Amino acid sequence: MKSNLYVLGYAAVLGTVCALLLTASANFTAPYKAANARAEEVLNILAALKVPFQEDASAKQLLEIFKTNIREQNREGVTVYEYLPPQAKGKPQAVAVRFAGPGLWGPIKGFLALESDMKTIRGITFYEQEETPGLGGEIVSSAFREQFIGKSIVGEDGKAGIVIRRSGGQGARNKNEVDAITGATMTCDKVEAMLNAVIKNIAGKKSKIKVQNVK
Amino acid sequence: MANNQPPACLSCGAKGPCGGKGLLTLKDGVWTSNPLAIQILGICSALAVTNRLENSLVMGAALIFVCVGSNLLVSLLRNRTPHRIRMIAEVAIIATFVILFDQFLKAFYWDMSKQLGPYVGLIITNCIVMGRAEAFALQNPPLLSMVDGAANGLGYAAALAIIGLFREILGTGEVMGYPVLSGEWYTPNQLMILAPGAFFTLGIVIAVFNVFKGQETAENK
Repeated sequence: MKSNLYVLGYAAVLGTVCALLLTASANFTAPYKAANARAEEVLNILAALKVPFQEDASAKQLLEIFKTNIREQNREGVTVYEYLPPQAKGKPQAVAVRFAGPGLWGPIKGFLALESDMKTIRGITFYEQEETPGLGGEIVSSAFREQFIGKSIVGEDGKAGIVIRRSGGQGARNKNEVDAITGATMTCDKVEAMLNAVIKNIAGKKSKIKVQNVK
Repeated sequence: MANNQPPACLSCGAKGPCGGKGLLTLKDGVWTSNPLAIQILGICSALAVTNRLENSLVMGAALIFVCVGSNLLVSLLRNRTPHRIRMIAEVAIIATFVILFDQFLKAFYWDMSKQLGPYVGLIITNCIVMGRAEAFALQNPPLLSMVDGAANGLGYAAALAIIGLFREILGTGEVMGYPVLSGEWYTPNQLMILAPGAFFTLGIVIAVFNVFKGQETAENK
């Protein structure tokens, strides 16, 4: 039996070596990861707003498209991304806002795009999520996301908010309802909550966020 | 197996650095005691990431890397590691290799990293890696331990690839994203992409594996 001191020393040395290795690798990969994250964010803003771009566009091309078409504005403390094609006059064609919140395993972040009436959903994307693949992870699938298109963020009763419907076999009926994913109740609950937090800012009674015309 | 003379390595023979056990160790990991099909280890990730062949291959590569790396280090340190904290030391080593691979994926294969999600990180808790470190690397020299790690990684990767291939073909009609079964006569069966498809396929793979292995054992007798 080796002495306690040896055990402590061994653990300290092994721990330090492992930590140094990981720190070095994290430092080395940090710029690549930051670039990936930025490209991912831009890609999702463009996709949510339905800005046309080629599927195999490089990160650089995406950033270029983003710069020419999107105007980043701060309205009442909310960053909105307005879709303004270079030749466009009048109102922006669409507006995207970021939403974020805790998921089941990690944070979920995404963009919600609205038509210029600020009520109809134009698109939704998720750019960060660690949900269970095959279950909650299906929120990124087009089948789930496409349900949102054309839905209203204001319900039949005039209240702001959307519903991700779980019960009932007949599927979503109301203009602000979409179907949940079977087996991913927790994820759907959380996504619903974070979407409604953003929607409250936009479509709530006290909201002052308005789309402004281009001058 | 006990009465058979172990086949010597092709390159170095019985006096080589593996002591002539290299080939047997390799066969053990890939075939005789395949971690997935025979030992039934690492099932969680095998069910989760096999909905596409590409995912399966990357996951297999990750496990080979982690198994080889952790087996080498555990084996190098085997005479210095205090017995009482050997498992903690093993986990620290394994976790280091897993996070290294995860960082690499996140930096250079972002899309793949997104698809695999938490399952790369979960390799830390994969029974295969820990099992090989504990059962093999602690008692064997470094080179042989690396062979063992590679063999078990390969065995896992091969089983994963088979499952991934069938699930992708039947579930989406594609292989590596290229359409194979398309047209009007085949409707992709969504079930194969979902969890039940993974259970069915894994069960069949284990069964087929054992049938072949059973025949082999019978012939040896």
